[in-house]
Amino acid sequence: MIKLLQRSICLLLFSMLSLEAAADDWWKFWVADSNTQQVRVAEPFIDFRSGPAQGFPVIHTSEKGEWLTLLKRKTDWMKVSDAKGRLGWVSIDDLLLTEDATGDTVSITEPRFDDFRTRRWESGLQMGEFDSTAVNSGYLGYWMTANLSAELSVSQILGNSSEIQMLSAALVHQPFPQWRFSPFFRIGGGQIKIKPKATLLSVDNSINSMAHAGIGMRCYVSDRFFVRLEVNDYKVFTNEESNEEATEWKLGLSVFF
Amino acid sequence: MPHLCRGVLSFFLAIGAMAASAEEVKPLIEPDVRPQKVDESLIDTENFELGVFGGVINIEDFESSMLYGVRVAYHLTESFFLEANLGLAEGGETSFEKLAGNVELLSDEDREYRFYNVAFGYNILPGEAFLKGPFSGDTYAFNTNFYLIGGAGATDFAGDNRFTAMAGAGYQVLVNDWLAMHVTFREHFYDIDVLGETKTSMNTELSTGLSFFF
Repeated sequence: MIKLLQRSICLLLFSMLSLEAAADDWWKFWVADSNTQQVRVAEPFIDFRSGPAQGFPVIHTSEKGEWLTLLKRKTDWMKVSDAKGRLGWVSIDDLLLTEDATGDTVSITEPRFDDFRTRRWESGLQMGEFDSTAVNSGYLGYWMTANLSAELSVSQILGNSSEIQMLSAALVHQPFPQWRFSPFFRIGGGQIKIKPKATLLSVDNSINSMAHAGIGMRCYVSDRFFVRLEVNDYKVFTNEESNEEATEWKLGLSVFF
Repeated sequence: MPHLCRGVLSFFLAIGAMAASAEEVKPLIEPDVRPQKVDESLIDTENFELGVFGGVINIEDFESSMLYGVRVAYHLTESFFLEANLGLAEGGETSFEKLAGNVELLSDEDREYRFYNVAFGYNILPGEAFLKGPFSGDTYAFNTNFYLIGGAGATDFAGDNRFTAMAGAGYQVLVNDWLAMHVTFREHFYDIDVLGETKTSMNTELSTGLSFFF
């Protein structure tokens, strides 16, 4: 039952992440059990650990020529069983030295820097300061070309006298997508909602439009992760005589997929 | 003449060699199954963890209350993970409200304590725990992780929404590959001015939870 639930959640997530891929592969989830993925140990021996980390003890060792069935993966570890049904966790690095049924070395792709350049979607969480007040924010971006992307972001600014919520859309341009440290420029606009604290006199929430422009940097870390730093300048269009301005910086971790 | 002889001989030899190689190419029995390469898309990956937790949180000046919430984690590597938490509790009465009797500092709505945070975790001590069955005498081994966690988010309490930092530690026991039990101890810090001047509020959370890997 749990297995079924797990698989349905997986299926749901996958279909959300990439509808195209799901259309081709969805049926594979249901036949995964019947399809045994096997590799043969090619090095003198391979260690089985009790859990998926270097810190867990080695509980068994399989020798050269033995066949192992791949069961499931957690981070950089694969749960395997040998011909006698013994279970354990083998590191992906060790698995890359084994052979599959065709006699070739097993290839398991890892998300790498190359994928960082060709990604389509990115999403991340960021924290920083908006006019010297703490800001938490999250965003989702879609790359239309290697240089140009569209982003949607939400922010919460937590001040002493008010809470500000922002929703904005932006266009982002990165001139050098092939760089590991890739600078970008962004311009956009949206809505800003200022909620005065309830502990003060009850004042109505105010909603204004705003526009912003900024610069930033993406730094690829590893796997499917990168660090993103950005500085934005905001102009809030108010009903007062002059518009308000604010500067914001934020730093966060993002994933691409 | 010997030249011709040698030529004819090498011609027959070449034919023989060709026949032999043709025989090698065609096996006696054609295998029904072609050997398959490993297809990693067929292997289940379990890097996400979804869970619920419940426990006690001490809300500074407002007693200790029952806390419950949900937690999602994504394991980046064997050591590092990202976690997002949502928690709910309700603030009790301050000592002043209790002693003075008919005084209410906060409305019921403002007493609701809600927080969210995003955190970075590090499995500092992976290990094993052993449990001896009370009757059978069998010993069971469970994988465990002792982890440190720190992050930030916001706390909505007393009509105020404040930036909140969080730090703590937890102990995770993996019942099997997809089910884990947690006990965590976390400290939530934020500045608040509900009792007049602004001060740092320290809120200690002690909770236990259950999570599923998928």
